[in-house]
Amino acid sequence: MVKVKASELRKKDQDQLKKQVEDLKTELSTLKVAKVAGGAPAKLAKIKVVRKSIATALTVIHEKKLTQVRLDSKGKKYQPLDVRGKRTRAIRRRLTKKQENKLVLRVLKRKQNFPQRRFAVAK
Amino acid sequence: MAAKAKPDAKKTGKVLKKGLHQRKHKKWTTVRFRRPETKVLPRKPKYARLSVAGKTRLDKFSTFLQPLATEKALKIIETFNTLVFLVDPKSNKKQIKEFAEKLYNIKVTKVNTLIRPDGKKKAFIKISPEYEGVDIANKIGII
Repeated sequence: MVKVKASELRKKDQDQLKKQVEDLKTELSTLKVAKVAGGAPAKLAKIKVVRKSIATALTVIHEKKLTQVRLDSKGKKYQPLDVRGKRTRAIRRRLTKKQENKLVLRVLKRKQNFPQRRFAVAK
Repeated sequence: MAAKAKPDAKKTGKVLKKGLHQRKHKKWTTVRFRRPETKVLPRKPKYARLSVAGKTRLDKFSTFLQPLATEKALKIIETFNTLVFLVDPKSNKKQIKEFAEKLYNIKVTKVNTLIRPDGKKKAFIKISPEYEGVDIANKIGII
């Protein structure tokens, strides 16, 4: 059996994907019974393939749901946590670039009005 | 005039002493003090913590791990019209009954379960007499 390809699964819609998962799971259950009842090695080797196919199908289902959520929440101030990007725990707790570079008004005005000048000596 | 002025004076006197908003102290009639009920607002989250609901972990496929085809199990199928399965330890008899009926198109009269010493759950699924246990086992592939 050939493993189901994710690129093919992505073309399907949610109902078709759910049905695919159900079919794969019924196949898995029959294979597991065959394992108990002493099945052919071909069948036993198929178990891994089917398991991985179920995993890819479920991944694609989840992916599709998330893309929809991303579209809906794009540009909004508060996004769901799994849309925000996982990065690392420490990075999430850091100050944002904007927050880091924020200056007091007094300092901002000073920098604007008296910038560091650069001069060149004419030869 | 004087009679009218008196109550006002008393009031102002009280206000000066105790302040404008005078809370009446409620009488406690019990010995213990219990926190009075306060206003509890319902949740109105600004964003979802988990935007996509996760899949249910115990569905009809994942409850049944494998059927048992030991000598004892086969004997049970023949004599008692009962299938023997290894089942997810978290499932309960109601679930096992429902899912068995759905998966194998049978009618279940009773489910007995036990937890083996190695931690796995064994379910004895008694089928109603209209179905032959041996036929069903053949269909599933146990025999």
